[in-house]
Amino acid sequence: MKKIGIFDSGVETPEEIILAAGLIPYRLFGDPTIEPDKANEHIPPTHCVWTRNLLEKAIKGLDEDIIGIIGTHGCDRTNREFDIWLECLNFDFMFFLNSPRKRDESALKFFIDDMKELITQLEDHFNVKITTEKLRESIKKMNNIRSLLKEISEFRKKMILKGSEFHALVKLAQQQDKDEVVKILESKLEEFKTRNPFLDTNIKKVILTGSDIDDTEFIKYLEELGFHIIIDDLGVGTKYFWDLIDENEEPIVALAKYHLNKPIHSTKFPSYERFEVIKKLAEIYEVDGIINIAQKFCEPILYDHPYMNKMFKNLEIPYLFVEVTYNRESYKQLSTRFSAFAEII
Amino acid sequence: MSKAEIKSNKMLNATMGLKNIMGRHFLAIEQAYRDGKPTAWATSGSPVEILYAMDVQPMLPENSATVSAAQKYSQNFIEMAEEEGYSYDLCSYFKTNVGAVKSEADMIKGGTRKPTFMLSTDVICDTHVNWFQVQAERFNVPHFTIDVPHVVSNTNQRQYNYFKKYVVEQLYEFLDFIQEVTGHEYDEERARQITQNSWDLSMVWQDIYELRKVVPCPISTRDTFGGLFPLFTMPGLKEPIRLYKKMYKEAKARVDNGIGALEQENFRLMFEGIPFWYNLKYFGTLERWGAIIVYEPYTYAFSKYMNPNVTKEMVLNQPIEAMAELMLSFWYIYDFETRVKKFEETVRDWKIDGVLLHNNMSCRPNSCGLYDLKRKLMDEADIPCLIIDADMNDPRKLNETQVTNQIESFIEILRQRKKK
Ligand code: SF4
Ligand code: SF4
Repeated sequence: MKKIGIFDSGVETPEEIILAAGLIPYRLFGDPTIEPDKANEHIPPTHCVWTRNLLEKAIKGLDEDIIGIIGTHGCDRTNREFDIWLECLNFDFMFFLNSPRKRDESALKFFIDDMKELITQLEDHFNVKITTEKLRESIKKMNNIRSLLKEISEFRKKMILKGSEFHALVKLAQQQDKDEVVKILESKLEEFKTRNPFLDTNIKKVILTGSDIDDTEFIKYLEELGFHIIIDDLGVGTKYFWDLIDENEEPIVALAKYHLNKPIHSTKFPSYERFEVIKKLAEIYEVDGIINIAQKFCEPILYDHPYMNKMFKNLEIPYLFVEVTYNRESYKQLSTRFSAFAEII
Repeated sequence: MSKAEIKSNKMLNATMGLKNIMGRHFLAIEQAYRDGKPTAWATSGSPVEILYAMDVQPMLPENSATVSAAQKYSQNFIEMAEEEGYSYDLCSYFKTNVGAVKSEADMIKGGTRKPTFMLSTDVICDTHVNWFQVQAERFNVPHFTIDVPHVVSNTNQRQYNYFKKYVVEQLYEFLDFIQEVTGHEYDEERARQITQNSWDLSMVWQDIYELRKVVPCPISTRDTFGGLFPLFTMPGLKEPIRLYKKMYKEAKARVDNGIGALEQENFRLMFEGIPFWYNLKYFGTLERWGAIIVYEPYTYAFSKYMNPNVTKEMVLNQPIEAMAELMLSFWYIYDFETRVKKFEETVRDWKIDGVLLHNNMSCRPNSCGLYDLKRKLMDEADIPCLIIDADMNDPRKLNETQVTNQIESFIEILRQRKKK
């Protein structure tokens, strides 16, 4: 089946619409083992490391099943770089979805309009009909995936499932055929039900937040340093499945409401509300500390960090903020900081 | 005007009046605090006219940040913000403002006072929204933000229409917000007067720009970099119109007498981006090569009425709709295709020999696309371009020697081209 590549700084793209068009939504992830040499010819090196990496991969050639791209409004990077993608890539179908920054009534109406436009353009371009029925079906399918992921996520709390293993599953859910995803998640769920917990008493339970992190090796690296990501507040994580879409409401309205009500990402307004999201999770999951990761030059996270720092200090919850270059070699240089944090919490 | 009077070949005499105009702006702010009149911080690109129309005194922290830089305080303020945890990589206007507020700096050092509320929009950058979120929390004041959909190269008319509808709706919500916070009501007649003044101000500015098409160019960045501020801070008031008219008259007299801002104009340049406010003198060094900047998209952009669909009638009779349309379509936020087209037209119409592109480390929205812009202009339109890495408010990020060497080589290229 053909795929639509998704260029999104969070998980703001309504995959259900793509599914209803008979296509596979395929979120684009980077590759931290490559250097963005070609992308650096288009975007200055002081801009987000992650989006440059994505562009690098896209210029070098994406999976040949990908027949179109949806770029979704997130931060200045996705917004401004979409035009560069238009310049550099040769896809007949390229759509920029203006997922709104605000989350009120007018934003809702606007998002509905924008999703309708996406539907029109998909229908015209691929000669398909995106019916209400198909949308309802795909919402059901995605809700099922969300529920499965949420259930599986709890095995992190039971110390049965490692954060890295879970992270890989969420990534898979964002790229593979959704029927396949359901099968994999169902079988994994059965497996986890019979798996024994790991018995490391010295392990530090943390919540991971910040820029979206798509490199599972980074999570493994944190685990090697003694952390357990018991919960997260990421797009490749809880933001993808925490809430469900209302299956009784008119599908487009339900989709728009879902995206405007789900746990907020730092690219939306007011991003300080993300603090409340993290705080709540930190309390429920009784974490030992918070790790906030900013991809190098990630402005949304850099702006929010001092506020987070202040607020968590007030709550006396240990908080570590680290800027990361999207490159596996560079992770090692951060070990001292992570280890020191593991020691104090 | 006698020929002797117009022979000054540096800054226009009228531009000297800018200090007074800006002084009035700052006095008006002081007066507003004394009178207990509501005040608001606003980001550039936001509809400041609405504030004037509703009798709210605007303050533009970006403008204040440039004052800090010009007075050589910005680095200190920036470092104070960095001590608070704001990254070295964040916008230096924002950090200047954080430091200025923290140290309770006077207005002459670029300080800004606690406003009644804040107005931001993401039309130009995320920074504007994040910045005011930071400061609204610090001051504990309400903050209204206008979410402006992002127009890209393949946005169609249908999309544009509902983008506009969304912005219009928010502007009306903003009127309600102001009324709720200040008790002031929206008065259509007053709004008409304000938008009329705002229109007139911009038109004179655009007329001044028309004069810059002439060879030799009558005015340089000595007049435009500073001259721009009333467009930010006072759109809707009468005083700056008078100033701009004087500037125009003087520049016109130069044109009529064949006098340029430089005694010897060899190269006409375009400068994309925000200037180095802490070192404006630097731009004077171009004169040693007989080079003059005759067009800056940055200073032109804020004479916002450039969209031919936004007529004077519309501005006067449907100001909210007109503002919404303008917010979706001005120089500073052009999609890449339009940006390239505008550059090509400008180079042709202003007879530009070469383009300097400021890769501003603070301003990622503006520097995004510069590399492709350069490539397109050079390869497809045969326009020489040079990218300069620096920052508009953080002196630590300008390597003067390096930039001068780059410009020198660039000028040499232009010289060789002229010989051909
Ligand atoms: S890492 Fe940050 S700057 Fe980069 S795309 Fe994500 S939100 Fe934007
Ligand atoms: S310099 Fe750029 S990033 Fe900073 S406030 Fe201005 S437009 Fe925004």
